[in-house]
Amino acid sequence: MSTSSADPLEWLLRPPSGDSRFDRKALAGLLLDIARNVRPELAAAPETAPATDIRLEQLRTLLMGHEIEVLARLSQVLDDPEQLAAAVGRILPTAFAQATGDARLGQVLAPSLEKATQTSIRNDPHTLVNILYPLIVPAIRKSIGETIDRTFQSLNETLKHSLTLRGLAWRWEAWRTGVSFAEVVLKHTLVYQVEHVFLIHRHTGLLICHVAAENAASQDPQLVSSMLTAIQDFVRDSFSGAENQGIDTMRLGELTVWSEPGPFATLVAVIRGKPPEELHDILNSALSRIHQERHQALEDFDGDSTGLADVEAELTECVALRQARPQKARFGFPWLALPAAVAVLLFFSAWAARSWQDNRRWDHYLAQLRALPGIVVTETGRRDGKFTVNGLRDPLATDPQQALGVMEISPANVISRWAPYQALDPPIVLKRLEAMLDPPPDVRLSIDGDRIKAEGSAPAAWLDRARAGARMLPSGAPILDLTGVRNVDAPVDARWQDYVARLRAQPGIVITETGQRNGKFLIAGLRDPLALDPNVALTEAGIDPAHVIARWAPYEALDPQIVVRRLQATLTPPPTVRFVVEGDRIVAQGSAPSLWLERAHMAARILPSGAPVFDLAAVKTVSDGAIGKLRDDIQARTIRFDNNEPLPAPGQDALLDQLADDLKALETLAPPLHVVARVMLTGHSDALGKGTFNLSLSLARAEAVRALLRKRGVDPDLLQVRGAGDLEPVLAQDTEAARSANRRVSFTVELEEQL
Amino acid sequence: MTAMLQKKICMLGAFSVGKTSLVRRYVSSVFSDTYLTTVGVKIDKKTVDLDGRTVNLILWDLAGEDDVNALRLSYLRGAAGYVLVADGTRPATLDVALSLRGRVEADYGPLPFVLLLNKNDLPDQWTITEGDMDGLRNAGWWVRSSSARTGEGVEDAFMDLAVRTVR
Repeated sequence: MSTSSADPLEWLLRPPSGDSRFDRKALAGLLLDIARNVRPELAAAPETAPATDIRLEQLRTLLMGHEIEVLARLSQVLDDPEQLAAAVGRILPTAFAQATGDARLGQVLAPSLEKATQTSIRNDPHTLVNILYPLIVPAIRKSIGETIDRTFQSLNETLKHSLTLRGLAWRWEAWRTGVSFAEVVLKHTLVYQVEHVFLIHRHTGLLICHVAAENAASQDPQLVSSMLTAIQDFVRDSFSGAENQGIDTMRLGELTVWSEPGPFATLVAVIRGKPPEELHDILNSALSRIHQERHQALEDFDGDSTGLADVEAELTECVALRQARPQKARFGFPWLALPAAVAVLLFFSAWAARSWQDNRRWDHYLAQLRALPGIVVTETGRRDGKFTVNGLRDPLATDPQQALGVMEISPANVISRWAPYQALDPPIVLKRLEAMLDPPPDVRLSIDGDRIKAEGSAPAAWLDRARAGARMLPSGAPILDLTGVRNVDAPVDARWQDYVARLRAQPGIVITETGQRNGKFLIAGLRDPLALDPNVALTEAGIDPAHVIARWAPYEALDPQIVVRRLQATLTPPPTVRFVVEGDRIVAQGSAPSLWLERAHMAARILPSGAPVFDLAAVKTVSDGAIGKLRDDIQARTIRFDNNEPLPAPGQDALLDQLADDLKALETLAPPLHVVARVMLTGHSDALGKGTFNLSLSLARAEAVRALLRKRGVDPDLLQVRGAGDLEPVLAQDTEAARSANRRVSFTVELEEQL
Repeated sequence: MTAMLQKKICMLGAFSVGKTSLVRRYVSSVFSDTYLTTVGVKIDKKTVDLDGRTVNLILWDLAGEDDVNALRLSYLRGAAGYVLVADGTRPATLDVALSLRGRVEADYGPLPFVLLLNKNDLPDQWTITEGDMDGLRNAGWWVRSSSARTGEGVEDAFMDLAVRTVR
């Protein structure tokens, strides 16, 4: 409280910090009014009470003293993080307890809890291990126990049957069918039938569904299911340490009762015989399917099974599970069968050696088949002691049966299925062409890379047929090259005439002289270096170059086709430009950087007179194209700001999104056009306020927009910023509308073409 | 199997108040009474017809409470209601019934129940006054006197309970 100011009571009029709403003047007036009412003679007193009267403050303290104190205490608690934490901590448990009914609480807390759990595990995994230990260990123990049970069962059975005749028969079956011996043993020894399946609601012990096998009889299933539940409860209560488990197996003579517990329902199967341990898995998966499909109905079950009638199908499937007893056959004790077993073993080992050899031969055969053109092996295997092979075969491919004989594999031991198809392997296509074209003895067909080359000489009629045949080859097949076949029907003179005629028709070639000298053909003329190579044409015509004397002088042809080639070579147009010959004009189409266009115009001007017209009118410059439109779109946009605000005025998110999309399009469009794009963000302010402040505000606005665009994925390198202060107003008037229009960020796009 | 409504009902009461006799003649029973002394529970079924709808009451007859055998309250899990049985000729059994009700309520919350005061065929030994019964009725209890011998009150009690559990 300061008393050094001129008026000692001035501080009273000054609002104390945090109490700006206390209107002293009004209070003083009110008091005066009350005083006048009480004592009318005071009416003559001064119209306004001195607002600086210290008694007002005293009055306020008197009236509000307690509340001020309470508020002060509260604000102290709110301001001090430790006190606030203590205060919130006191009510937190109650708050949580009241909020448990609200589903959002779980959603809100879940991420934090997950993070906390992760941190806890990272810091000291033992804590969580200790928490989970009582849950995990019984589960592991049970799982190990079941596995050991299963192993023992399998081992016992295997040992018992390995040396009997029956065991040998099973070994035979295992080898023949390709399943493991243990599985065959189990298949024959585990004879069982599931007689009853109960689906029992865990909580109430009430029966949800019961299915019995045809020949099975039992008491009232509803009572049985409740009694089973009662017995489970009884055992659980009677033996401590098994609170979360129950009886999973009960045996009574030939009957075994298996109980598979699920979260809401227990599946109880009554099985006659000796069920294999795998049956647990089958029952369990049926139970989990039921839980998966009818989770809610099971949870809500209150004795009304009407809505759960469909689980009966699942249970019926379980009841169908059985392993029928194989035909009764009496076998002696292992020792009596021993001599026979030894004989069988001897036979078996001889047989196995042979079979091993056969297998090797078979593998070798398959490898050979796979290497053959026109044969695609899709599947191989063994069935009933025979080899099987399936695949595709071109009818012209080698016969797989023949190859069998070579490999000393009996065809009787092989089942093969070949679907016909047309192969495109060059050797097969060659065979097909040979079969189809029946080439004369002077023509040789050979494979040359992925082409089939015909060489030699043939009559014209055959050549015509061969050309037709080559055209009929499917696409993707090797090409039939007939240029190496000379037409024997055409005398060499005729071929020479054809050759000369062909050259005459070529643009860029002018023949000035033809004739024969010393038994050789003579040809002379002018040739543009960009025209067809006469030597190539010579070979194609089947004329030996050694019999030809040719003299060609270079010249610059003005045929449009040649001029186009020359322009292509000298101008190297960008990929966006195409040259088209239209009559005697060359028309360029597409879009190109303006620098290139300039060069092209230059080239068009220096074309010799008489040359085709080079028409560049249809070429657009880069800025005329999509990128130019993009530039105009971007430049047409501005971002508005409220007075004194460096952040864009609200409601412009969509505008910024659109802007960011355009800028990203600009980024991707520019490089293929060899254009470097730069975007300048210029911040502006209105003319209120000092110049330096406006300058920094305008720059801040441009920076803010750049940051917002960057957040939307625009490459920051593309964007440059500058602040223009109030120096570049869009409207010069001194109105609020003008000021508002001036508070903006504007965009300038600069496209620099590179060649 | 045709789908139908089932409700689990427990029979509770002191030793030898006649619970087992009550159900023996009026329900279909397949298990022998020795279950009661071994496992502590015997399951029976009572089928009632509620407006054309068949309701199977699965009755869990729990072994009587005495000094040796404490009641296994875990058997009440999932019950839709229960029948308290007391012997009208022995007031102590009513006290047992009252305490049983308190323990059930503590563990499983309020469930529909019926109190049967059994052996009303022995009027000369009857010790519970109509006033006592009215007192209980006023406290919201469903009280009936019954007789395993004559069958009086048994059917009605099950019917009452069935209506209240299905509702």
